[in-house]
Amino acid sequence: MNVASTESVLRALYGYFFLVFIVRIVGRRPGKQLTPFEFILIFFLGGLMLTAIVADEASLTNAFCQIIAVAFAHFSLAAIRSRSDRVARILDGTPLILLEGNTWRALTMRRQRIADDDVMEKARDQGLKTLEEIETAVLERNGEISILPKEDS
Amino acid sequence: MDTQAELKPVGDNVPKVDGTIAVGEDLEFQRRWWKFEKVVWSFFVLLLIADLAGALGRGPLANAKRETADGTLQVKYERIQRENTSSIMTLLPGQAAVHDGKLQLFVSDSILKEFGAQRIIPQPETSVVGAGGVTYTFPATSTPMTVQFELKPSFIGLHPFTIGVPGDEPVQAKAFVLP
Repeated sequence: MNVASTESVLRALYGYFFLVFIVRIVGRRPGKQLTPFEFILIFFLGGLMLTAIVADEASLTNAFCQIIAVAFAHFSLAAIRSRSDRVARILDGTPLILLEGNTWRALTMRRQRIADDDVMEKARDQGLKTLEEIETAVLERNGEISILPKEDS
Repeated sequence: MDTQAELKPVGDNVPKVDGTIAVGEDLEFQRRWWKFEKVVWSFFVLLLIADLAGALGRGPLANAKRETADGTLQVKYERIQRENTSSIMTLLPGQAAVHDGKLQLFVSDSILKEFGAQRIIPQPETSVVGAGGVTYTFPATSTPMTVQFELKPSFIGLHPFTIGVPGDEPVQAKAFVLP
């Protein structure tokens, strides 16, 4: 069997979809900004993938074609996501309730690797002083924690 | 030109909590996803162990050795190689392979093409093309002798190769090139 080297555009597409998958598996962490750990992860993943995708093809033609391929893949994925709830759920997950009426969702917290301090940090950000003032805390699909205060607080 | 904007009534299709907050949580899906994550992480761990062991090339499991029955030639190579990644194939001919101060070695075309031979150490004195390969001649004295081929494969898949001393039984083997 003689399979020639995969074309550079295909390599770019493999790389894109593989990174989308890895980032989805690594999971979301709360916070508006990237933490230093996430910076390392993003740049390291990008750098490692880059060497295999570009290989020894350093031409501008190759760069243009690979960038267009990645842009096309991203555009297509976004288009499919907006049309299909199922695909959107697979790509982004669903919002998850972390705290509801003075009760922690312990399994969700553990599986999503979120500490109660993460929730409290976000609550303080909204001017809440104690956990009792929180009606619902939700881990959003983008990794943000939304805090809904109790009506009377 | 149609200037009418496309309109759609506002509707809420996500479940509500206490009838007030639209969260859209799908715990059933999330439970399935956590199970899937577990399977994927287990697979990743196995993959890393396989990589460290050399099952994906560049490690102990990838190293292979073949020898002719009469011991004229021994070939050390990597049975699992990686595309565009250098590996060394070492040929260890016995004294019986040397005739009149010359060592002749035949390598099949696949070593040059599929396995992308980059360099031969030492440089052969002559090279003759034919019979589905190349026959190299090296000046030689006595054993131990070592001839090395630096390989850099650019074709993915399973490729056979043949290496031998002309007139003797050759070493035939296969190596797999990973992307």
